[in-house]
Amino acid sequence: MHLKQSLIIAVTLVIISVTAWELFWRSQGVYPTLDDNEALWANQRARVEKATNNDILLMGSSRVLFDMQLDQWQEQTGIRPIQLASVGSSPLPIFHDVVENTKFNGTILVGVTPGLFFSTTNPDAQPWQWPQSKVDFYKKRTYAQMSNHLLSIPLQKNLAFISEDQGVDGVKLKELLGKISIGNRVVDSMPPFHAFGEIALDRNLKMKQITVTDTAYANSVIKVWRFFMKAAASGPPPDKASTMAFFLKDLKKFKARGGQVILVRCPSSGSLRFGENMGVPRANFWDDLVKQSHVKAYHFEDYESLKNLKCPEESHLSGKDAAYFTTEIVKIMKADGALTNLKTN
Amino acid sequence: MLFNSLSFVVFLVIVLALYYSKLFNWTSKKRMLLFASYVFYGLWNPPLVILLWISTMVDWVAGKKLAVEDNQKRRKLWLMLSMFVNLGFLAFFKYRDFLLDNFTTVVNTYGYGYQTQPMDIILPMGISFYTFQTMSYTIDMYLRRTERAKTFLDFALYVTFFPQLVAGPIVRAQDLISQFYEEKRATVNQFIWGIFLLTLGLFQKVVMADTLLSDAVDTVYGSDKILNFWDAWMGTLAFSGQIFFDFAGYSTCAIGIALMLGIILPDNFKYPYGSLGFSDLWKRWHITLSSWLRDYLYIPLGGNKHGVVRMYAALMITMLLGGLWHGAAWTFIVWGGLHGSYLILERLQRQYLPFKITKWNGMFLAFTTFTCVNITWVFFRAKEFKTAWNMITSMFYLNPEGEKVLTSFDILKVGMVIGLLFICHWFMRNTSVEAVSKRLSPIVLAVVWAVMFFLVVISQGSGEQFIYFQF
Repeated sequence: MHLKQSLIIAVTLVIISVTAWELFWRSQGVYPTLDDNEALWANQRARVEKATNNDILLMGSSRVLFDMQLDQWQEQTGIRPIQLASVGSSPLPIFHDVVENTKFNGTILVGVTPGLFFSTTNPDAQPWQWPQSKVDFYKKRTYAQMSNHLLSIPLQKNLAFISEDQGVDGVKLKELLGKISIGNRVVDSMPPFHAFGEIALDRNLKMKQITVTDTAYANSVIKVWRFFMKAAASGPPPDKASTMAFFLKDLKKFKARGGQVILVRCPSSGSLRFGENMGVPRANFWDDLVKQSHVKAYHFEDYESLKNLKCPEESHLSGKDAAYFTTEIVKIMKADGALTNLKTN
Repeated sequence: MLFNSLSFVVFLVIVLALYYSKLFNWTSKKRMLLFASYVFYGLWNPPLVILLWISTMVDWVAGKKLAVEDNQKRRKLWLMLSMFVNLGFLAFFKYRDFLLDNFTTVVNTYGYGYQTQPMDIILPMGISFYTFQTMSYTIDMYLRRTERAKTFLDFALYVTFFPQLVAGPIVRAQDLISQFYEEKRATVNQFIWGIFLLTLGLFQKVVMADTLLSDAVDTVYGSDKILNFWDAWMGTLAFSGQIFFDFAGYSTCAIGIALMLGIILPDNFKYPYGSLGFSDLWKRWHITLSSWLRDYLYIPLGGNKHGVVRMYAALMITMLLGGLWHGAAWTFIVWGGLHGSYLILERLQRQYLPFKITKWNGMFLAFTTFTCVNITWVFFRAKEFKTAWNMITSMFYLNPEGEKVLTSFDILKVGMVIGLLFICHWFMRNTSVEAVSKRLSPIVLAVVWAVMFFLVVISQGSGEQFIYFQF
């Protein structure tokens, strides 16, 4: 065997093919991004262990991720919040984890997306299972997993083809094969779902500019929301009683140790807003939650400066509007005395 | 630490750099390898390294005593100590909840209303592998089949050697410890071949098991519906491929990494899906475990020296316990029981209906063996008997109206991968990768190598755990 010769040729071929692969994806408009995975979330969760009562945690679903911009929050308060929100999730499992497993007694902002907040306490249901899996990962993560994530960051930041994106935007082999469709043996009625946000190491997330500038792109995301709304309409109704009870129990415990909670309803618009009003009407859900929680609460519709914000894909704000929204809502909270521990120079 | 992870790449580069540097003499290199092995294990869960230390200490002391002790009673006591500690670890960490569940069920059938709280104890990675490996040393010492390890360092490294620590191959003392006595350096060809085997192992794991097959398995076995004939078969076939590529991939990586250090580990898989019958299968599948079970369980139970009934009983007990070794659940015991039954039936066939295996009936026999093996995989993969039974009924076409959960492309993909796997095993059954590679031109070998590596890179294995770690 001429193994040395084989090795040299193989290494050369690998360098050429991997370079070509990277260049191909860049030519297709794919660029390096970080993955919003469990390891990234766990790094933020780890910060809670050392957080003081001056710190602020952000929890909720993707609306908190998109709409609360950490730079603007920091500008207004001098404190950079810890972003713990999780896409497609109920905030309850993460709130429960912080209440039960930490001594944190600062401020927690809980984003209320009614369709998710009031959805369920069933551990097998997606709005619960997704955030719970992040909590579980944090509890069980190994040193090897931590170092793997650390080592993967430079690769994720510099190589377009290193991506955990799934579905239509996926570029890894499994996702590429998943796009091949032959016949209609099993009908997948879910429309293609584009990734429309970009996350940073501290989990500050901004909407991709293409979602703002390309209506077709935004519309493709809207179709997904409509698909979910349709599925929700034919599924079990919101479990308001058990979700409220679960939250209020944790809230009581958190308040008892000096913690403060702020509820925020982030903007939605168009047909999604209409659907939300039909399925989880404000009076029955948000207003009742605010009434029973006895905490500061802010609904975007209650403020002139916020109520006309439009979401490009009906559910989340563009980067520019998110910056505006964060600035405005923090000003409102400050004026209202909800944020008191400020580090202003 | 997983072989298919970035941490391992960094770890391996550091270990190789230190191993081949001129900083250390051989003893220091072995110390470095031992320390590296503890780091390799400890990065998963540091406190559980203590179990490794206890196992190492107990078997070192037991081996030392067995080497000098002539009193048979005392010799037996030292052996029992080793068995008690190692099997005790297994019983506590792996089988405690299973035993407690069954105890509770039995007691409650008599109306005691006994309640237990599962302890939810973490299962130390690779505990079944290293306990079996270290026990084999003490048993061989007891039976005077091996020499005592010359130094504690050699013995500790034998127990902990990182390439095979968590998922084998399970190596016998005389095959590995003796390799540590003199300085080992891989030749250039060995080193490059080691890299090739590491690439091949990663390709099997990351591309074949995780990328091409795992989704179909998870979809089928994660479904709570009664499935269609095709879906049940394709999910099971996909699992047969997934578990082979996953486990053989690990073994191939382990052998390759050890070879890069100049250490030779035994083969663990020899194209098992090309087996002609079940005795042949167990000479080709997880060879180091099946030979362990043969030498330390089947033969002590009587083997084939005490008549037919005793032989069949020994065979069945061995396979049932072999099933239990894989997991603390009745489904694994049924899996072992099916294999035991197959082996007994095969021996009966050889006795009463012997036939000559030719080229033509051989392939049919291999196909029949592979089909029967797939039936057993259902019990291995299904988490509950209900799922297993639903799958079996679907596979025997008893649910013609069953649900379809796999796409046409999934079926095509699994069919092609498993078809190629079977054909490959059939044609490779009497040869090896090394022998085939020797016949290839360097350029063809390089292209194959590059394609495998490229596919590993673009599959971006996100560090999926190897299936056998849980055993």
